[in-house]
Amino acid sequence: MANILAFSETRLGELRRAGLETVTAARQVADATGGQVHAVLVGAPGIAQHAARLAAHGADVVLVMEHEAFANYNPEAITATLAARLESGYRAAFFAASAIGHDLVARVAAKMRLAYASDVTEFAFSGDAVAVAHPGYTNKIVQRFVLKATPALISLRAGAVLPVENAKAGAVEALTAAIDPTSVRVKVTLTEKAAGGKIDLGEAPVIVAGGRGLKEAANFKLVEDLAAAFGNAAVGATRAVTDDGWRPHSDQIGQTGRLVSPDLYVACGISGAIQHLAGMRTSKTIVAINKDKEAPIFKVADYGIVGDVMEVLPVLTEAVKAVKAGA
Amino acid sequence: MTASNGLFALIVAVAAGFFASNVQRLVGYLRLGRLDDSRWDNVPRRLYNLATIGIFQRKIFRDGIAGPMHAAIFWGFCVLTVGTSEFIVRGIVPTFTLAHYLPQWAYRFYQNSQDLWGALVIGAVAFALWRRLTHRVKRLQGAETHANDPLLILSWIGLLMVTMFLAESFEMVAFPQHASPYYRPLSYALANVLSFVPQDWAAFFRSLNWWSHGLLVLGFLNYLPYSKHLHVVASLPNVYLSNTSGPGQAGVMKYMDLEAETEQFGAKDVEHLSWKSLLDGFACTECGRCTAVCPANTTGKLLSPRKIIVNVRERLEQRALELQTAGSGRETAEGRPLLDGFISEQELWACTTCRACVQECPVSIDQLSVILEMRRNLVLGESRFPEEVMPAFESMEQRGSPWAFDPGERGKWADGLDIPTMAELAERGETADILYFVGCMGSFDDRAKKTTVAFAKIMKAAGVNFAILGREEKCNGDPARRMGNEYLYQMLARENVDTLAKYHVRTIVTACPHCMHQLGNEYPQFGGHYDVIHHSTFIAHLLAQGRVPLREELHAAVSTFTYHDSCYLGRYNQIYDAPRETLKRALPVVHLVEMPRSGDRGLCCGAGGGRMWMEESEGKRINAERAEEALATGAQAVAVACPFCMTMMRDSISSRDESVPVYDIAEVVAERLG
Amino acid sequence: MKLAVCIKRVPDMEGRFKIASSGTGIDEAGLKFDMSDFDGYAAEVAIQITEKLGAGEVTVISLGPDVVQETLRKALSMGAHRAVQLKHDAPVSDGLAIATALAAELKDGGYDLILCGRMAVDTQNRSTGAFVAELLGLPVITAISQLNVDGGVVKARRELEGAYELIECPLPAVVTIDEGIARARYPSLKGIMAAKKKPLEVKPAQVGAVTYQLEKMELPADRAAGRIIGEGKDAVPELVRLLKEEAKVL
Ligand SMILES: Cc1cc2nc3c(=O)[nH]c(=O)nc-3n(C[C@H](O)[C@H](O)[C@H](O)COP(=O)(O)OP(=O)(O)OC[C@H]3O[C@@H](n4cnc5c(N)ncnc54)[C@H](O)[C@@H]3O)c2cc1C
Ligand SMILES: Cc1cc2nc3c(=O)[nH]c(=O)nc-3n(C[C@H](O)[C@H](O)[C@H](O)COP(=O)(O)OP(=O)(O)OC[C@H]3O[C@@H](n4cnc5c(N)ncnc54)[C@H](O)[C@@H]3O)c2cc1C
Ligand code: SF4
Ligand code: SF4
Repeated sequence: MANILAFSETRLGELRRAGLETVTAARQVADATGGQVHAVLVGAPGIAQHAARLAAHGADVVLVMEHEAFANYNPEAITATLAARLESGYRAAFFAASAIGHDLVARVAAKMRLAYASDVTEFAFSGDAVAVAHPGYTNKIVQRFVLKATPALISLRAGAVLPVENAKAGAVEALTAAIDPTSVRVKVTLTEKAAGGKIDLGEAPVIVAGGRGLKEAANFKLVEDLAAAFGNAAVGATRAVTDDGWRPHSDQIGQTGRLVSPDLYVACGISGAIQHLAGMRTSKTIVAINKDKEAPIFKVADYGIVGDVMEVLPVLTEAVKAVKAGA
Repeated sequence: MTASNGLFALIVAVAAGFFASNVQRLVGYLRLGRLDDSRWDNVPRRLYNLATIGIFQRKIFRDGIAGPMHAAIFWGFCVLTVGTSEFIVRGIVPTFTLAHYLPQWAYRFYQNSQDLWGALVIGAVAFALWRRLTHRVKRLQGAETHANDPLLILSWIGLLMVTMFLAESFEMVAFPQHASPYYRPLSYALANVLSFVPQDWAAFFRSLNWWSHGLLVLGFLNYLPYSKHLHVVASLPNVYLSNTSGPGQAGVMKYMDLEAETEQFGAKDVEHLSWKSLLDGFACTECGRCTAVCPANTTGKLLSPRKIIVNVRERLEQRALELQTAGSGRETAEGRPLLDGFISEQELWACTTCRACVQECPVSIDQLSVILEMRRNLVLGESRFPEEVMPAFESMEQRGSPWAFDPGERGKWADGLDIPTMAELAERGETADILYFVGCMGSFDDRAKKTTVAFAKIMKAAGVNFAILGREEKCNGDPARRMGNEYLYQMLARENVDTLAKYHVRTIVTACPHCMHQLGNEYPQFGGHYDVIHHSTFIAHLLAQGRVPLREELHAAVSTFTYHDSCYLGRYNQIYDAPRETLKRALPVVHLVEMPRSGDRGLCCGAGGGRMWMEESEGKRINAERAEEALATGAQAVAVACPFCMTMMRDSISSRDESVPVYDIAEVVAERLG
Repeated sequence: MKLAVCIKRVPDMEGRFKIASSGTGIDEAGLKFDMSDFDGYAAEVAIQITEKLGAGEVTVISLGPDVVQETLRKALSMGAHRAVQLKHDAPVSDGLAIATALAAELKDGGYDLILCGRMAVDTQNRSTGAFVAELLGLPVITAISQLNVDGGVVKARRELEGAYELIECPLPAVVTIDEGIARARYPSLKGIMAAKKKPLEVKPAQVGAVTYQLEKMELPADRAAGRIIGEGKDAVPELVRLLKEEAKVL
């Protein structure tokens, strides 16, 4: 049977969690259809050190492409190399649905003149077809379609497949770049972690926001702690809070503040006034903690806890820390 | 006729000619404005305004101190003008006297009136000078005012009076045979005091004062066009030409033809304003009453309605020269336009369109229409507005509501209440007597929905046959129109008019004063004519007719209420009593305490004019000011009759005193439904 | 400088969607349509470039039935100079087929910079920009949040999860626009009037072969809003489980 390719994303020499998810997904398919999992690892010299982890998650072969010119993402050289490799006969290739994964899968598909499935949350292989699900319309609709192209190119939404250990040989093979990675048109000149600590509200995947229910400025510490536990969270506030000067106006979310739509919005002690909703209703998942079960925020929340923020927040913070530590 | 008569005649002719040319110049300036604003209709109403506001100074008296003072000067002027006319004619034709034409009693009365009013004017002028020099009356301050001008004018008027008295008195000293206590008693008394002056000296002093008086009169006349006291000439015509629409109509914004072949929408400079707005500039007395009641100005914003009007005049005088000399080879340097050159965007966006300024202006100036025309230019012409407004505009356009809610959920509040939509009725071949137009706040805002439900319950209890539009209802467009987005407004208004026509709607009730004002007063511009009743009036009627079954209640949980007037209910539609009436009928045991600023002097909540969608970071929040005023009454609860007021009052009250609830009047009534 | 912006007409995302009886599309009754958000940013970026240069031309292109003209007019009212409708009445669900048609139009236009949205907010495939670039043989930079065009070089920034990168490539090029770069301006009435007089060409779309079909659309399992999962701190473990397993955000 044909093999499955998994592109394992790295950044600044580190293997990303998404890189393990693609290997795990490829492993699941290979186990069902036969064939081997070939994980691809690209980076500056030394990147091969991650091969063992890929093997532990089910890579039969780890294809390593090392070069100084891969210290940053090098889309054209990687595309050319992967397209050439895939031409040699693969059943499918998995990419992460990350900024880089999206970029790469589209390039590879374009180079090969193939349709592909983007941001996939479910997939099922049968014969020469793959049934996939891909959320659209700001996650309000699930689009299901059958991809008949071979190889089936798929970018996988984070969390759709959680990394599972399933050790395989993981034989390391060198992969040669199909074109000279130093003479490309598109060059990434710098990759840098976002300025430490404070993530901008507009970009944060998670926002923890506090309202007047926190009672006083000092209690915002609880909100900050929860944000810190998430790691990728920013802190927001209602106008009641910014008015009282507990937080700067720049933290205000709503009609006359910032308009945000993170993946997760945690509203703590916020009543859910229309002016506040105007700024955050489009968040993908909304959690509300409020002691008044009639509070309008619950009407837009996916998950609500009726309770005292002072009591719930510390417990939630610990629980989130535990999950993050486990991952 | 002596040489001196001849000289005087010459001076009068020159002065009159100069004055006439100035008047012509100023009228020419007015013609630079838009002329499509006819004010020649409605003569009886205009005369009535002229009499009450102009002659009887109705609005002047709204200020208890300055009112009588100004009235004394004004009436004095009217009376003394007769004397001055006689004086001038007699200066040319010495034998002329009104005595030849009037019966003796009338002439005597006239002579007496001159003396009496002259004295009153001196008193009032002295008081005014004293007040200006010793008290810094707040409303008279401001960078845009011409602070020295009033001092000059007051002194001038004082001198006019003094010279008049001295001329009269010295005449009596010089020619005792003319003296009589029955004609000019005060001059007579003064003549007695001055009787020590030798007769020939007295004759000289008489001439001196006579000439001074004459020259001062003519000088005054010609100084006016250059002074803020042009209002002396311009205010009466301005009152006559002011907006004569009745309650409801007065605050209607002018229709704008969006298909017109023009590059200019709204006003960027003075020539884009109506000629009447330019006349407003001439009529302004800089009294500052408008600015003193302006909620934006009094809470520390830059906006001052007086400055808007003063700027119009300043820019007009500059712009007229530019336009007149354009292409003549001796162009005057181009000044900056009214917008940005004189009036900033920041000022224009601060206005809540509360109409307090218009209400207060003693000479019926319409500051608001300048502000709104300039907003139209900002949005339609230049796409300049506070950035937080954009989502509201987009959402009104996309979803028919300034908040991004699913239009399909507009009627969701009615789930389980058994309230039909017009569409459902039509499907069954039925119809309803009354349409309940709920509005966006009432449909989507959680707090306002409680009012919506309360009002619906009251109507049901009273057996009213009503229906709603549900998802077919659209925002009435008021926020868009008041923010200058006429394009978006007309789109919404037309859609609503079409929907209402589809169901042959004639009678509409609503709990939102903005919906009421739009549907009732502004939709006629699009062919929508309905009888629109605000819920306060409607509930008051139902209560008066005994149609609402109320529980007996001897002890109310809340025993004192204060009521906050909505601008669009009050100043726009003159509905002040109905909400109060409703409260009293619903809760006979309740004591209603008024805030210092209430009724037609009510302070805006801060939400009107689209301010609901803008951040208020300049100065103090208007709703904070109002909340403090409401709490200071000691009332246990605050009542409102508008969903916007509800948000504003609740937001600011709850952060000050959580124990004081804010209720809509419908909730107060619904609470007692049996 | 000649710029082209590809624009897709999409339904308003605030509405509650219903699946059409075909099962492969949404029920469009009562829905309002507008430019896809990212395309609005792209149009704004292109217009700003010509405004800054005081020269250049922005062409907006949309593939679809005649209703897309409305969307093109909106872009013209924002300040784009001319528009092209690639007329195609049946819905196309193949990204490559659409890109083929767009590329055919763009090929001989002499464009220095072609802008697409990062993704269409309805179908969210994120493919078109890369496909168009490949078909035209041009370099592409996707999902950019900053852009600077100077001396024949495009310099851009892309946001990554918790990081960012700086990228360069020579002109002519294709870029796809992420949020954060510019907000689409609100067209003034003046702009709307002017747009009525700007050229809008209608051409048949040369859609490529369709290799790929949508089977079915469905609404996600209703996570009914307003779900209260418990009271007080005892509800925390359940919340964490749901965030991990159902919402997949942890
Ligand atoms: C023109 C205008 C613009 C506005 N713009 C914005 C804006 O951009 N953003 C914005 O947020 N608001 C805005 N507002 C204000 C808005 O109307 C609300 O007043 C504000 O959002 C309320 O903030 P809040 O939820 O923190 O406070 P509240 O409404 O007072 O709610 C506090 C909540 O905390 C709960 N609570 C209390 N104690 C506890 C506890 N111990 N544990 C758990 N819960 C508790 C209460 O039940 C209550 O629901 C605007 C208002 C106006 C008029
Ligand atoms: C439910 C469903 C699922 C689909 N899944 C896939 C899939 O997984 N893979 C696939 O290849 N195709 C898929 N398609 C086809 C897809 O909808 C598109 O039509 C096509 O892929 C373009 O993608 P997009 O519209 O999502 O835009 P994206 O690729 O996300 O790119 C958007 C950008 O492309 C430009 N653009 C897109 N459409 C037009 C247009 N009509 N006119 C002008 N410019 C335009 C705009 O600049 C826009 O911002 C699917 C279609 C449906 C209905
Ligand atoms: S309408 Fe109200 S807010 Fe506006 S200028 Fe007049 S007084 Fe001030
Ligand atoms: S506009 Fe009217 S109220 Fe305001 S300063 Fe002038 S005269 Fe006075």
